[in-house]
Order: sequence, then structure tokens, then C-alpha cells
Amino acid sequence: MEDLGENTTVLSTLRSLNNFISQRVEGGSGLDISTSAPGSLQMQYQQSMQLEERAEQIRSKSHLIQVEREKMQMELSHKRARVELERAASTSARNYEREVDRNQELLTRIRQLQEREAGAEEKMQEQLERNRQCQQNLDAASKRLREKEDSLAQAGETINALKGRISELQWSVMDQEMRVKRLESEKQELQEQLDLQHKKWQEANQKIQELQASQEARADHEQQIKDLEQKLSLQEQDAAIVKNMKSELVRLPRLERELKQLREESTHLREMRETNGLLQEELEGLQRKLGRQEKMQETLVGLELENERLLAKLQSWERLDQTTGLSIRTPEDLSRFVVELQQRELALKDKNSAVTSSARGLEKARQQLQEELRQVSGQLLEERKKRETHEALARRLQKRVLLLTKERDGMRAILGSYDSELTPAEYSPQLTRRMREAEDMVQKVHSHSAEMEAQLSQALEELGGQKQRADMLEMELKMLKSQSSSAEQSFLFSREEVDTLRLKVEELEGERSRLEEEKRMLEAQLERRVLQGDYDQSRTKVLHMSLNPASVARQRLREDHSQLQAECERLRGLLRAMERGGTVPTDLEAAAANLPSSKEVAELKKQVESAELKNQRLKEVFQTKIQEFRKACYTLTGYQIDITTENQYRLTSLYAEHPGDCLIFKGGGGPTWTSSSWKPGVTTACSSLPQRANLPFVKMVPSAWRGIVALVRPCSPVLACGCFRKVGGGAGCGRSGWAETGPTWDCYGLERASKPPAVCSLCASL
Amino acid sequence: MALQLSREQGITLRGSAEILAEFFSFIINSILYQRGIYPSDTFTRVQKYGLTLLVTTDLELIKYLNNVLEQLKDCAPREKSQKAIQDEIHSITATVTFLPLLEVSCSFDLLIYTDKDLVVPEKWEELVPQFITSSEEVCLRSFTTTIHKVNSMVAYKIPVND
Repeated sequence: MEDLGENTTVLSTLRSLNNFISQRVEGGSGLDISTSAPGSLQMQYQQSMQLEERAEQIRSKSHLIQVEREKMQMELSHKRARVELERAASTSARNYEREVDRNQELLTRIRQLQEREAGAEEKMQEQLERNRQCQQNLDAASKRLREKEDSLAQAGETINALKGRISELQWSVMDQEMRVKRLESEKQELQEQLDLQHKKWQEANQKIQELQASQEARADHEQQIKDLEQKLSLQEQDAAIVKNMKSELVRLPRLERELKQLREESTHLREMRETNGLLQEELEGLQRKLGRQEKMQETLVGLELENERLLAKLQSWERLDQTTGLSIRTPEDLSRFVVELQQRELALKDKNSAVTSSARGLEKARQQLQEELRQVSGQLLEERKKRETHEALARRLQKRVLLLTKERDGMRAILGSYDSELTPAEYSPQLTRRMREAEDMVQKVHSHSAEMEAQLSQALEELGGQKQRADMLEMELKMLKSQSSSAEQSFLFSREEVDTLRLKVEELEGERSRLEEEKRMLEAQLERRVLQGDYDQSRTKVLHMSLNPASVARQRLREDHSQLQAECERLRGLLRAMERGGTVPTDLEAAAANLPSSKEVAELKKQVESAELKNQRLKEVFQTKIQEFRKACYTLTGYQIDITTENQYRLTSLYAEHPGDCLIFKGGGGPTWTSSSWKPGVTTACSSLPQRANLPFVKMVPSAWRGIVALVRPCSPVLACGCFRKVGGGAGCGRSGWAETGPTWDCYGLERASKPPAVCSLCASL
Repeated sequence: MALQLSREQGITLRGSAEILAEFFSFIINSILYQRGIYPSDTFTRVQKYGLTLLVTTDLELIKYLNNVLEQLKDCAPREKSQKAIQDEIHSITATVTFLPLLEVSCSFDLLIYTDKDLVVPEKWEELVPQFITSSEEVCLRSFTTTIHKVNSMVAYKIPVND
């Protein structure tokens, strides 16, 4: 506050100063305007200066005061600050100590916490491990669950399937039950028939026995007959034998005589045989001799002939000198003659060879001369030709000379005419033109003539050549003709033969070309076929191994085929057996056993067997039960209901007057029942129904009837009225009605009308 | 080693027949593999003639081929260079591009064309000519060696397009 007050005083002084200055200035300025004395100005200036100095002094004093005050304040504040600082220091020390203690506490806590943390980590790890284990357990459990679920699902499916099968089996059971019922009734009928048949059979048996007895007797008789016949035959045989013996005995002396004769003959024949043998040996010897003799004769004949020939030869040889005229008397002469002849022959051969060689040489010389002749003639012809050409040339040249001279004359004449024309008038250009034209013409003519001459010379040359060739050919022809006349060959070619031969040659050429083409085509075809697999069967053959993969594969195919067919047949047989439903034959059973036995099949079989067993049991039970029931009904009610055919029921009574009395009902299983007809025995009863008191149909006042009536009434009131009349009626008198006429009735099992289940069930079930 | 030496010196009768038989066996195996006569997993790879070739592992088939090729060893020798064999195998491999597919399962048989006056060995039998009707022929590489000329071609039935 002091500072503030000091400051305010300083400020106020400052402000007063400033106000003063400003007043002075204004005044000064006003003064200045009003007074214009320069000395006042200076005075004012000095005053102002003085004022300013005072102000400055004041300022400085104030400043000093201010500063001193500040200094005091600062010292005060400094003390205060020190005090505070000490206080703060103490407090901070205390805080520090506290902090240190706290730190230590915190450290200890930290350590504890770290320990706890470690423990917690261990626990955590343990927990994690436990977790993992639990997880694994969970996974395993889940897998097990899944498996169980799958198995459950499968079980459920199997259950469904089995349920379906069970339902099917139940249906089949029911069907079979129905069948059983039908069969039962059929069985009963058949039993009745069987009884009849049995009786018949017994009668038949008796008859059979009688027949058998009679047959036995017959057989005995027959046996006796046979024995007697045998005896008879034996006796006959004995008689025959006796006869033979007798005859033989008669023949005996004759035979003895014959025997003697035969012995004599045999001895005689033996002697004859011996002599025969001796004679044959003599004969053979003689035949051999004869053969030799004949051979000798032949040789003799041959020798004689030879002898004669040799004699003739000798005579001819002796006469040789006479025939040949040579001096030959002896063979030596002949031989000498022969030698001489041979020598002469050799000499002649030598001469012959020499002559032939000389002939050949001459021949060669002749040929050479001929060739020379040909050459010479050719030269001659050439020379002639040359001469002719030269003559022709000379003639041409002469002609040309003539032409040229004529031209020259003509030209001269033209020139003369031109000269004559030229002198009167000078038409030099015309003349030169004409001259040029003339020259051109002349040149043309020259060239033309030169060409013609050239052509002519060519033609003449050609002609000469042709002529030369022709002459040469003629000469050769002449020479050949001359040669052919002297030589050994003799070719007689006529023109016609030449033409025919030429034609033949042409034809053959054509055929050859055609055959060549055919051959080429065939070769190409053959190559192609060889590529395709064909070959020349005369030179090559195809081999392959007997045991090759193709044949093995074919064999396997055949075996598979046969196996499959056999299996097919077996399966068909099995199927037929199973369709028949009866016993499966053992071989097919074995085959069936070979079929793939899956579990399902086994299970199904078991099920089927169990179902069949059940069926069987049910059938038996049902049979017994129904029989009991029907018996009970029959005994209790006195009425029996039978099923005659499908939907037709027959009601018979125990106490009916006629055993054949019955009522026949037709029903549809529901409440609709119609009575179709009366059996004959009942019609009489029907007409007098109300009167007949004994008729149990009417007499009965049973609740059973009520049951039936209840069944019948709703749909066919006629029936109710016509056939059944309640006697006594009312619900209460059932029993009394019974007691009158009905059978001894036991109350067991009989119900009131309201509940007629027994009968209903009976009817329904029947 | 001995075979190589003999090849350098000049191929002997024995060596060349074995080479030929070996060559034919590889050719037949290649054809069987390519045309799918036998399933491809019954074939295994071997290195020969500088190529990777496939041969069968079916024992029956190997036995059959050995039986057939033993007969070939009796025939006249033929030399072939390795290059020529490679070319032959390449050309047979190339036939797969134009030969029609075999849709049904097939079997095969080897036929040998010989001189008519050759003695038929046991286990072999003679056949009538097996002619391929309506066939397409393609000539493959043919080449000559010092002694013989070898032509190879393939003929196949033209596939009927439905």
C-alpha cells in the first residue's frame, strides 16, 4: 500500500507536472500570440527549463524514493522468501523422507507383487496347460461325439430302413395271414375230400388184395404149366435121342463094311502116292533135259545162221577184188589200200584248208575292192555333182551377166534420155530424185535377184545331195544284189513282204508300248499292295508264332464269354427257383452261397427267417385260437358261421331240423350285409317261420342275435323283420329266453346287446 | 566292349544280328506304348541310342518278343548306324500325329515275311496274307547301309467318320 501510495504520489506529481507544462505551453503559446516580446520568450524558456530541471529533480527523487522502497520491499520479501524457503525445505525434507519411506514400502510391495506375479504366471501356465489338456479332451470328446453322432445317424438310418422293412414284413405277414385263412378253409375241404378218398382207397386196397391173391394163384398155375411144358420138352428130346440111337444102330454094320473098304483104299492110295512121287521126279528130270535141248537147238540155229553170214562175208571179201577192180586178194592188200586212201584223204584235207584260206583272202580282197569301188563311185558322183553345180553356176552367172548388160543398156538409155531431156531444161532436183529412185530400184532388184539366186543354189545343193544319196543307195543295192547272187544267203524281198513286215513292226511297237504302260501300272499296283500287306505268294510266305498276344487275347475272350454264359445260366436257374419260392435245390444253394454275401443280405435273411418263424408261430397260435373260439361259439350259441367263398358266409345251426339248413350271407366286410339266398332245406322253414317254435333261428332271444340284428338291421330292415324275430324282446329277458329252449348256456362270454363284441368280432373276423 | 571293337573292325555276322534284334525290340516296344495297346504304367524307361525309350515290364510280353526275335537272329545281317536308328525311332514317334486313335482295346501280332523254302520252326505257323482293306499308306524314312536298303512305312485303316 505504501508502494501504491508512493507510486500514486509520484504519478500524481508527474501528472501535475505535465499539466503544468501543458498549461505553461498553452499559456506560453497564448502569451506568445498576445505578446511578442522576445525577452519574455527567453524568460519563459528559462522558466520552462527551470521547471524542467525541477521536474527532473523531482522525478529523480521520486525515483530514488521509489527505488529505496522497492529495495526495502525486496529485502522484506527476501527475508520472507528465505523463511518460506526454509519452511519449504523442511517440509520438502519431511516429504522426501515420507517419499523415501513410501518408496521403500512400494518397493517391498513391488517385490511382493512380483512374487505374486511369478506365482500367478506359474499358475497361469498350469492353467494354460490344463486348458490345453481340457481342449484336447474336448476335441477328443467332440470327435467321439461326432463319431457317435455319425453312428447314431447311421443307426437312425438303419432304424428307418429296418422300420420300413418291418412295415413291409408286417404287410407281408398280414398277407400271409390272409393266405393262411384261405388255406385253412381249403384244407378243411380237402380233408373232407381226403376222407372220401381214404375210404375209396381202402376199398381199392381190398380189391387190390383180392386181385393180388388171384394173381398169385394165376402165377402158381402158370408156373405149373411151365414146369409141365419143360418136362414135355425134355421127354420129346429124349424121344428124339432114342430115335437117333435106333437109326444109328441100324446103320452100324453098314458102316463097318464101309470102314473096311476105306482102309483098303487108303493103303492102295499110299502106294499110288509113292509111285506118283517117283514119277514126278523122273518127269522133272526129263523136263530139264528138254529145256536144255531146246536151248541147244536155238544156239545151234543161231550158229548156223552166223555161219552162213560169215561164209557170205568171206565170199564177198574173197570177191572184193572182182567188185572193186583193185588188185586185192588178201586182207593185207585191203589194209594197204585203206592206208593209201587215208593218206590221200589227209592230203586232200590239207589242200582244202589251203584253198579255203586262199578263198577267204580273196574274199577280203574282193570286199576291199568293192569298198574302194564304192568310194570311187561316191567320188565320181561328187565330182559329177560338182560339175553340175559348176555348170549351173556358170549358167546362172551367164544369165546374170546378160541381165546386168540389159540393165546397163537400160540405164544407159535412161541416162541418155535424161541427158537429152536435161539440155533443154535444168530439172536437176527432179533428175536427181529420179536417179535415186532408179538406183533404189536397181538395188532392190539386185537384192531380190541375190536372194533368188541364194535360194536356187540351196535348192540345187539339196537336190545334188539327194541325188548323191540316191545314187549311193542304188549302187549299194546293185552291189548287194550282186553279192546276194554269189553269196550263200538269198534274200528275196518283194515289196509286198516289206510292207507287211513294216505293218507288223508298227503293230508290235504299238503293242509293246501298251504292254510297257500296263507293266508300269501293274508294278505300281503291286507296290501299293505290298505296302498294304500283300506279297508274292510264289516266293514269300508269312509266318507268325502260334502263341502270340492276339491269339492269347482271343482265347481269354472266349473263356470269359463261356464263363459269363455259364454264370448267367446259373443265375437264371437260381432266380427261377427263388421265384417258385419253394426249396432251393442244393446245387443252386451252393451257387447262392457263392454270391457276394454282404452283411445286408445276411441280415435280411435273418430277418426274413425270423419273420417267417413269427409267421409260423402266429399261424399256429391263430389256428388253435380260432378253432377254440369257433368251437366255443358253436357250443355256446349253437350256430356256426363258415366262409364258403370270398365274401360269402354260411350260417348253420346245431339244432336245425335238416342238416343241410343254412343261411348264406354276402357281405362287404362293413355294415352292409345282404342275405343272398336260402338254402333249399330252409325254405320250408322260412314260410312257417313264426309258427315253428323249435326253430332256433326264431327261438333265440339272444343278445347274440341282437348282435347280429344290430349288424343287419341298420341296412336291411327286411332281413330283420323277415328272418329274425325277437321272442320276448327287451333287454332284460335274454337269459330267460335262453333258459327255455336254448342250449345249456353258460353266462360266460355272452354279452348284452349294447356290447356284442364276441359275435361282432366273430362275424368280422370270419 | 567286344561289340564296339568289332564295330570298329567291321561288323561281324553275330554282332549285327544282335544289334538288329535289339533294334526291333525297341521299335516294337515304342509302337506298343504309343498306340496304347498296353497300359502306359506297365512301361519303364531305358537309355539307348542316345534317346530315352520305353520298354514293357510285362513278363509274358517280354517272353513272346524274345521268342520272335531269336528267329530274326538267324537272318542275314544288317548294319545300322546309331544316327540312322535314332531317325527311325523319331519317325515312328512322329506317326502318332496322324495315326487315328484306337478307341477299342486291341491286341497285336507280329508277322514275318520270309522265303517260301525256309523251314518253318516249331511253335510257328503259316498264315494267309493279312490284307488291310481301304488303307492309307505313309512312307517313313528309308535309308541305305553298306549292304542293304531299309524302307519303313506305316499302313492304317482309314477311320470312318460317323
